[in-house]
Amino acid sequence: MTDATPAADELFSASRVEPLGTYLRSLWQRRDYIIQAPLNELRVEQANTVLGNVWLILNPALQVGVYFLVFGLIIDARRGVDDYIVFLTIGVFTFFFSQRVILKCAGSIQQSVGLIRAMRFPRAVLPLGTIVGGVIAFVPAFGVMLVVTLSYGNLPTLRWLTLPGIFAIQVIFTAGAGFLVARMNHLYGDLENTLPFVFRLFFYLSGVLYSVDRYVEDETFRRLFAFNPFYDYLSMWRWALLDIETSSTVWIGGTVWAVVAIVGGFSVFRAAEGNYGRAS
Amino acid sequence: MAALAIKCQDVHIEYLIRGHRRGIRDTLRGAKPHERTVHAVRGVDLEIERGESVGIIGPNGSGKSTLLRSIAGLLPATRGNVLVSSMPALLGVNAVLRPRLTGRRNIMIGLLAQGVSMAEAEQQAPGIVEFAELDEFIDLPMATYSSGMRARLHFAIATAVTPDILLIDEALAVGDKWFKERSAQRLEQHRANAGTIVLVSHNLGEIERSCSRVVWLERGKIVQMGPTSEVIASYEAS
Repeated sequence: MTDATPAADELFSASRVEPLGTYLRSLWQRRDYIIQAPLNELRVEQANTVLGNVWLILNPALQVGVYFLVFGLIIDARRGVDDYIVFLTIGVFTFFFSQRVILKCAGSIQQSVGLIRAMRFPRAVLPLGTIVGGVIAFVPAFGVMLVVTLSYGNLPTLRWLTLPGIFAIQVIFTAGAGFLVARMNHLYGDLENTLPFVFRLFFYLSGVLYSVDRYVEDETFRRLFAFNPFYDYLSMWRWALLDIETSSTVWIGGTVWAVVAIVGGFSVFRAAEGNYGRAS
Repeated sequence: MAALAIKCQDVHIEYLIRGHRRGIRDTLRGAKPHERTVHAVRGVDLEIERGESVGIIGPNGSGKSTLLRSIAGLLPATRGNVLVSSMPALLGVNAVLRPRLTGRRNIMIGLLAQGVSMAEAEQQAPGIVEFAELDEFIDLPMATYSSGMRARLHFAIATAVTPDILLIDEALAVGDKWFKERSAQRLEQHRANAGTIVLVSHNLGEIERSCSRVVWLERGKIVQMGPTSEVIASYEAS
């Protein structure tokens, strides 16, 4: 070097991973993207259907119809539940919210590979956009859920005030799980084939269709259900909307799961930040 | 000496190619998958200053694109260092942003992903639409675009935000004559603002038009590096 340029000091490694603070700040800087991208996605998602985004409500509503037919009428699983259809609606709608978002997160990297290879941005905006999209898509379903609840004579109580909090905890858990599967599915595409079965299992283990308190008689066995985050969130929703009492372990379990998922999922996702553009 | 924008120190890049996916039976037998390590870049030393425009030439498979991807931070070097003064943007020929969205929406998404705010993006969008010259196609899904149209839109988006370092991998080759002239102009402008450009191309005319210095790569090594006319002359003679 002939003159005293600080050139060498200003340079940094092209493949460096930004420190957490910088990373979070550049995520915040892209908040407009995180909201706009899923809105655009929602616009084109049902482009070739007649009913368009009405499917966002119709899909879970039809699911409720099918389960009501089979488990409400043919096999009587209503034991110990007063308004089975409301019970079912809350279960199906909130469970499928998480399922839908997590499955979409799994594909969020592959879907945007063009964007990833062309531009530098914190990759976490991709699953985040998917999560925000899921929340937006849930709004009408949430409305339907409330209408169904009200129309069966379940009037608002003070417990309804906790609904935003319950939803927030579930969203945080879902986001954490979404980050995790986004990374895992990028590593092993096999995951996308496996996830539907994992969700199937959780669907039956979370008491979406039946009251765990009534059907699982063994006390210790029933306590194990609190380790299932989906069961925790379902119980919270039903506690708030249907006054179905639940144990404190559900609240502790659900909150712990949310914190563990978001911290763990985000860290796991960010650890591979530099690799998402690779051809695999 | 001006400040450096890119510095490659003895860069080696290797990657693994799997002949075909390892079958479950092979896995159970404990057989090694059919793999081959490709040593695509073998010890490249290169310094590029701010405001410089450098072309990279060489036959197919000489490691040009691999080197560029590594400068873009998409492919970590196996050995050596790739240092940059700011995060580069890479323009590739196959870039499809969001195929199902219209060109106009892709512009917004592209800008927002690069950290532009919604308000600014709305301000910049008309200029980009104009530069891309896609006319009525701008409101059709990007999946319906020809490769030249895609390249045009992509170039317009990437240069609107003007990253300090712009890496171009054959992205201009598919454009028509008119677009090539306009993009060359914009690159000229970019360089005048102390922006740095690295251009990979098989089109020597394009390199001559836009680059002051040329790096000739062959089998992952630099054969010759120097003023454009000199290097191109010996490249053509080889």
